Amino acid sequence: MNEPATFQLPEQMSTVASEVDWLYYFIYWLSVVLFVAIVGAMVYWAIKYRERPGHKAEPTGHNVPLELAWTVAPLFILAFLFHKGFEGYMDMSVAPANAMEIHVNAKQWGWEFVYPNGGSDNELHVPVHQPVKLIMSSTDVIHSLFVPALRIKRDIVPGVYTSQWFEATHIGSDDIACAEYCGGRSKDANGDELPFAQMTGHWSMHSMLHVVSEEDFKKYLIGIGDKCAAYTLKNQACPDSIVVGEGQKLYSKKACVGCHTVTGAKLVGPSWKGIWGKEESTDHGPVKVDEAYIRESILDPQAKVVSGFPPAMPPFRGQITDQEIDEIVAYIKSLKD
Amino acid sequence: MAAVDIPLIGGHEADSHGDPHANYLKAKRGIGSWMLTVDHKRIGLMYLTMVSLAFLVGGIFALLMRIELFTRGKTIVDAETYNRFFTLHGAVMVFLFIIPSVPAALGNFFLPIMIGAKDVAFPKLNLLSFYIYLVGVAIILTSIILGSVDTGWTFYTPYSVQTANSVISMTAGVFVLGFSSILTGLNFLVTVHTMRAPGITWTRLPLFVWGMYATALIQVLATPVLAITLLLLITERFLGIGIFDPKLGGDPVLFQHFFWFYSHPAVYIMIVPGMAINSELIATFSRRAIFGAFAVAMSSIGLAILGFLVWGHHLFVAGMSEFATMLFSALTFLVAIPSGVKIFNWTATIYKGSIVWASPMLYAMAFIFLFTIGGLTGLFLGTLSVDVHLTDTYFVVAHFHYVMMGGTVIAFLGGLLYWWPKMTGKMHDEKKAKIGFVLVFIGFNTVFIPQFIMGSRGMPRRYYDYLPQFEPFHKASTIGSWILAAGLFLTAYTLLEALWKGKTAPRNPWGSAGYEWATDTPPCVANFHTTPTIKRGPYDYHLATPEELATGWDEVESAHGTKPGASSSAKKA
Repeated sequence: MNEPATFQLPEQMSTVASEVDWLYYFIYWLSVVLFVAIVGAMVYWAIKYRERPGHKAEPTGHNVPLELAWTVAPLFILAFLFHKGFEGYMDMSVAPANAMEIHVNAKQWGWEFVYPNGGSDNELHVPVHQPVKLIMSSTDVIHSLFVPALRIKRDIVPGVYTSQWFEATHIGSDDIACAEYCGGRSKDANGDELPFAQMTGHWSMHSMLHVVSEEDFKKYLIGIGDKCAAYTLKNQACPDSIVVGEGQKLYSKKACVGCHTVTGAKLVGPSWKGIWGKEESTDHGPVKVDEAYIRESILDPQAKVVSGFPPAMPPFRGQITDQEIDEIVAYIKSLKD
Repeated sequence: MAAVDIPLIGGHEADSHGDPHANYLKAKRGIGSWMLTVDHKRIGLMYLTMVSLAFLVGGIFALLMRIELFTRGKTIVDAETYNRFFTLHGAVMVFLFIIPSVPAALGNFFLPIMIGAKDVAFPKLNLLSFYIYLVGVAIILTSIILGSVDTGWTFYTPYSVQTANSVISMTAGVFVLGFSSILTGLNFLVTVHTMRAPGITWTRLPLFVWGMYATALIQVLATPVLAITLLLLITERFLGIGIFDPKLGGDPVLFQHFFWFYSHPAVYIMIVPGMAINSELIATFSRRAIFGAFAVAMSSIGLAILGFLVWGHHLFVAGMSEFATMLFSALTFLVAIPSGVKIFNWTATIYKGSIVWASPMLYAMAFIFLFTIGGLTGLFLGTLSVDVHLTDTYFVVAHFHYVMMGGTVIAFLGGLLYWWPKMTGKMHDEKKAKIGFVLVFIGFNTVFIPQFIMGSRGMPRRYYDYLPQFEPFHKASTIGSWILAAGLFLTAYTLLEALWKGKTAPRNPWGSAGYEWATDTPPCVANFHTTPTIKRGPYDYHLATPEELATGWDEVESAHGTKPGASSSAKKA
């Protein structure tokens, strides 16, 4: 079942892939036969009956049975293709009841995968031979989660949940891409062109699928789980170093990295370096950057926008926990100098 | 063709439009005589100039895009500029070039002649539709200069509502262009119904006219939906009414339904005229009637009707119910039937014909070659489970270019070469035209075959940068674009060169039995000196008299004492 890549199609890593590929190659060879027959006949006759002295065109006659035949016969092939295609599509649409649910948050321009234990990551890890249902939402525009090796793709529409499911058939990795155009940015807040490595957009929403053994997946889940959770359970304070580390992880997982640097360089949003405690001028007057302002700016970014920056940030209300906000605040604090 | 003397009534009076018996190019002179003309032939030529310029602009965007993709990383422009390139390539090619190309340029010129009429039913409306087109072009050019659009030509919400660029002016331009399209369509419908010369019954209607008729039906019925959609988009951006934007309680997928409810029928506005030209070319250069001509005519009408019922196949992964998805897949497969009928009937026409390998015929055979690929790759996309993998990849890009460019543009070029002597009175250089054809054919396939393969391997479309495994395919595709461009420039040069260096063309240089070749070259202002009475079908080579089929090259030769510029085969009937 796990065929390697062919010239036309990538490696097969899901239960539906072999069925899809069979149908793909069936249509391919059907097309090759029809194409060769039609174009071959056309070229052969165009040469055989070329205009030359003594040769005259035969007046066109009628052949109703032939015309009916090539009008009706294709219907049978088409009905077969429709049937097989729909069958495969239904297999892709109906997730098994025991599927593990993983939430996908898509935003310009990054992915966040949220696992059943609450941990999250910007790459997708799944156990092999386990049906997985992706429940997907978008914070801004339409995206589409496309995994070539799984032969799956589904648009992610803001305002609604969409879903798709798959069962990986063997251990390995493959690319995840966004397949619905969602814009791009290659200039900073001043309109100056960014270096290529800092340009982001539709094409840069690249991530990886990692299919791992069940054992490894369990270990992975523990690894991405919140490290402070253990302390909270025991009613102990989480050590600062761990909180800052979690904040740093969220910085990339929540795609903050797309617009805010930690080096002082200006992107679409202000750099986090040295911003803590600073007096910033905003469209609603001067503001001191403290816990309250950072919290407000995450949940409702348009409330007070720092002067010189566009009101471009999507609101994170409903997509971030209080504990995560605390961790990000701790991380920003740590970047004071 | 047998003509009886029926005096000309109404229409082009000598005082306002020049002598009805004079060459339409020379009847009146000066810029004003073109700007205010109501002669469908002159309006057709003005449209031809505009759509050719639009094709040039759209083509330059395509070349720039391909150069950017030649290497990974940044090659010539940044990401935001690239996003504008592909948006403008799509918008200019679809709205400014391909939709008006065949109907407004060649259709305007030849539809009245091919039914023996003096003009279209509403000549002034025809001129108005040209000026509306110009206003639409002006608005779109302004929006390009003012900051341009980066949404893709599909303007999908909510991105198009949120992006800061000039989406409003761009969509307003497209909105205006729609009126031009509707008026042309309406004009053609009325003309075909009311102005056919005596003897041109519906069964004797040339297939080009049938195609224009089917196209006009779609233009009149579908274009208003585009106008509604764009108006809603504009309303939403200006007034913040939640129609499509989920932040305001709207539904972004609703926009896709609206958009494709027009834009899928529009695909048939683009391809049916190409097929219509192809039927003319195949008949003339096979010297026999199109096999099953009635079925070919009806398949145009069939495509026009089916075109309204399949818009949902653009939304298979966009979030439609499984039931709707199933229904749209089934209906989509039905499109294969009329398309197949055309391909089979054209091929059967070549069988036992007398095939003239002139440049227009090369384009006609290339159309069958390329459109068959375009049609067969449509089977992959109509098949639901396979479409899930292929949709929104380069496979789709290659598929629709094989249909739109391999079909319509190839037919447009073939039609231009075919009718150029009738329109201009000058014969082009066949040798250059054939070299141009070879470059176009090789270049086109070199651009798009690699795109099929990288698409099925998982390369999504509208990407500024790509993974290393796709680089060889992108390189090949870009090199192909240069060959294609060379072929197109050579073809354009061949046509323009004919204007000042070409031999004077006789009445019927290709020896066709079609009605349009019965009149002067170039036609007189009133198209025919007397209203023709038609006694046979436009492809009845066995009924046509030797004078009707005579090319007239002998007279040209004896008059000028020179050899004609056409190929030797074109000299014989």
